[in-house]
Amino acid sequence: MQQPAKKMKKVMVPRVVDGKETMVEIEVEDTGDSPKWGPNNAHRLLNKNITRVDAPLKVTGAAIYSYDVRLPGMLYGRILRSPHAHARITKLDTTAAERIPGVRAVTVVPSAAVVEGSQKATEEADKKNPIKVGGTAQPASNAVLKIVRFEGEPVAAVAALTPEIADDAIRAIVVEYQALPHAVEARLAMKPDAPKVMPEGNIKAASKSGDREKVAAAIAGCDAIIEAEYSTPTVHHACLETHGMVVDYRGGNTATAYASTQGTFTIPGDTAKELGLPESAVTAVVEHMGGGFGAKFGIGVEGKLACQLSKQTKAPVKMMLTRTDEFLFAGNRSGSWQKLKGGAMADGTLVALDATQYRLGGLGDGSQANQPYVYRPTQSYREVSSVYTNQDSSRAMRAPGHPQASFAIECLIDDLAAKINIDPIVFRKKNLPDTIYHRQIDRGAREIGWERRNKTPGGSAGPLKRGMGCAVGTWGAGGGPSCVVDVNVARDGAVVVAVGSQDLGTGTRTYTRAIIAEELGLSISDVLEKIGNSKLGNANASGGSTTVPSLAPALKDAAVNARLAVAGKVAPLLGIKPEEVIFADGKLSGGGKSLAWKQACAALPASGISARGAWKEPLQARGVHGVCFAEVEVDIETGFVRPIKMVHVQDIGLPLNRLAVASQINGGMIQSLGMALYEGRVMDAQLGIMLNPSFNDYKLPGTLEMPQLVSIIDDEDLREAVLGVGEPSLIPAVGAVANAVFNACGIRVRELPITPDKILMGMMKEERQKS
Amino acid sequence: MADERDDNSNKPEAPPDPGRRKFLKGVGVVGAGAAIADQLLLHASEQAKPAAAGGASVEQGAADVVLNVNGQKRTARVETRTTLLNAMRNHLEPQVSGPKLVCDQGTCGACTVLLDDKPVYSCLVLAVDATNKKITTVEGLGTLGKLNEVQTAFVEKDALMCGFCTPGFVTTISAYLKKNPNPSLDQVKEACKGNFCRCGTYPHVFEAALSAAKTIAMNNPLALGTESEVRS
Repeated sequence: MQQPAKKMKKVMVPRVVDGKETMVEIEVEDTGDSPKWGPNNAHRLLNKNITRVDAPLKVTGAAIYSYDVRLPGMLYGRILRSPHAHARITKLDTTAAERIPGVRAVTVVPSAAVVEGSQKATEEADKKNPIKVGGTAQPASNAVLKIVRFEGEPVAAVAALTPEIADDAIRAIVVEYQALPHAVEARLAMKPDAPKVMPEGNIKAASKSGDREKVAAAIAGCDAIIEAEYSTPTVHHACLETHGMVVDYRGGNTATAYASTQGTFTIPGDTAKELGLPESAVTAVVEHMGGGFGAKFGIGVEGKLACQLSKQTKAPVKMMLTRTDEFLFAGNRSGSWQKLKGGAMADGTLVALDATQYRLGGLGDGSQANQPYVYRPTQSYREVSSVYTNQDSSRAMRAPGHPQASFAIECLIDDLAAKINIDPIVFRKKNLPDTIYHRQIDRGAREIGWERRNKTPGGSAGPLKRGMGCAVGTWGAGGGPSCVVDVNVARDGAVVVAVGSQDLGTGTRTYTRAIIAEELGLSISDVLEKIGNSKLGNANASGGSTTVPSLAPALKDAAVNARLAVAGKVAPLLGIKPEEVIFADGKLSGGGKSLAWKQACAALPASGISARGAWKEPLQARGVHGVCFAEVEVDIETGFVRPIKMVHVQDIGLPLNRLAVASQINGGMIQSLGMALYEGRVMDAQLGIMLNPSFNDYKLPGTLEMPQLVSIIDDEDLREAVLGVGEPSLIPAVGAVANAVFNACGIRVRELPITPDKILMGMMKEERQKS
Repeated sequence: MADERDDNSNKPEAPPDPGRRKFLKGVGVVGAGAAIADQLLLHASEQAKPAAAGGASVEQGAADVVLNVNGQKRTARVETRTTLLNAMRNHLEPQVSGPKLVCDQGTCGACTVLLDDKPVYSCLVLAVDATNKKITTVEGLGTLGKLNEVQTAFVEKDALMCGFCTPGFVTTISAYLKKNPNPSLDQVKEACKGNFCRCGTYPHVFEAALSAAKTIAMNNPLALGTESEVRS
């Protein structure tokens, strides 16, 4: 029988590459009718508080993370890092390290493995200055790394019987470096005589948009003008589980990689390549993972080294980064430097904005959302360029580029509002054409008690001054066709749903079960999920808030197909048509009869029934907002800022699990609070090194910094579709906190993090201006 | 899914390396250290000899330790520099991997265990110093079938996301509620200020701690702060 030609249709889907989200048009099969979620308030399990199905494992220590995998005969890997920001390796001798008992292998980092963008420069240097490698360790490729281009760049790696012996071996590797001039600060790297970070220059040509002259003319006619510079430092993902994986390869035809990754399916290909195996011979396992936030895609240099060491020793190798490794070469959120000039009229109309934006991504391009971000002044001009420095490349981090852009524009908006003496939320509403923001602003304002705020920044009495601030954000949060979900219902009534996707702590396991259980009229505990394995159905990597909108529609489709398949077999027993069978309360009923689930399943064939689901575009949506309010208390005698309360209002369409969504929104606010007040990489410009690569010195928000946090799901979003919420929940808080500080004490700090010294400095300047 | 735990009951191999001793001849400073470590490895490849109960016998930089973990006497041969955390995770058979290695410098609290019922960072305690002490890890506070009140509250309040910090928080709070069965929110914050979370679960962790305190008080109206919680 001839297959009818597949009907195709075009849809727009987001694609996040290197932290830049773009929409691309793709063709998908038009399968006609898509199942529907139904009204958001009509679900039995979904849109309710569901406790995590993996929570009992995690609270008892029984959950086995990649870091916990321990295999017979397993070796421990460790990486030797460059102590220099820029240097030529003149000697590398691994002989002594190899002699240490318990050391099983030493390998040298192949030049091409490390930094995107540095390959060409390194290869050229390799040709010009061949060096001799002592010892038996051989690099994985013909090219040996000769030039290191940031502090922390991996140079060599070892595998040993214990991590302690591996540490000894790292110390025993002799490397001689010839230091080269470096530039680790963007402002210095931009000078014409700065050391060359990239052979082609330290500034990547700007992309420009708008008519600068028109903007200048428009600004000149404004009642209020603000011209200022905003900067945000490099901040770190700081996932508690460091990057890494256990490669279980013993020289045979197959291998297993237990990886701490956001993308189960980003692992097998590269692992296989390193091991010299076909891709299908490698299984990636991601049972539980300890946080990613955008930094964990692919096997990374650590994975490549683990493969090399495993190949050399024919033994499993566990290569988990140390905390210092994690800070120095496992990615970060790019810093930013933005020069903005904006003007508004006395009636609150934002007229024009001129923006010069620099993305500071070390050896990478970095990311920054384009100004004027969510605002639409009549005239705007922007130019965006990347400045390269001798630091490791930035990676995507939860809403790449957005908090940087949101922080700058939201501070400017707030300053303009203050200058024309108009309520900042009134000003925002006037200039945000999208009315969804208006309802979210009103909701957040009610919750924080906006009417209590200082009418004049710094206006409250006493040394402890309170203030409030507001900011908004936006994200795509839609999905694409990548997931293949299989549901199997056995004759004994067991239901298993399988898909290779991963749970980063976002609750993937839980909604995977819940969607199936809901459709089949079962309870959560009646369904078992299998995820985190590359031998299961394909799934997208978790980045850009795309997991739910990519996976949940496929789950729903599979659930519906499973229901129809079961109904087809059971309907005759009830004496009704398959479409008349009602699945509810663990029973199948209709025609005045009712069968318990297990009873009904006895009618299934011996092998049970299998159903498959694919992405259905109408089950997901795209485009979310998000508004954050913050209240802080500033001690003007010490400059210390105490967060009092934060409120985030988020539209999300159909929230699959309200409990997990609330947790994720809280998490977004807290990470954003960290960026606003505490976090930042501190570099020594002279030495070219990072001064705080540890949890002692890199300040993360802790329990004592916690304000009251209120996460509000905007249920007025009636879209019967799923969206992701990871990114949007993080974006606006950083601007809200900065604006709250300004409202409290009247000091505008434009350089993050807002530490006490900057507030005191601001007050000093203000005093001086007054006198 | 407890049955999906990796079966690590096989002993780790110490791959035979007959050429190593010869190779070491004539090596200077490195050789001296190597000889000590080599000694250790030779021992490791022998059948495990149980050390004197409750103590540590030290020999050439290696020590046979008996660790009383969650009510079980567990033996391991470790280098004397090995931390309690690494001994539990990398040397005990089967492993005790609830406590996590995160900062390795006593900052983040993910490795928190109770040493004689007092919370400590196990990355800052040497295994040889933990002998003759009662060690309770998150695994010893409750099991999948019978969670303790804090663990139950963590599940109900969604006080975890990725869960990597969770064993530390559960352990710290379980110990604290014995000391102070009726804490205020501020006291809970103070009690776990030495535990970091990156996903941002703090608000739910606080809720869970306060809710667990209530449950404990309800279940044991006359017996606040007894040993009932720690099954060791």
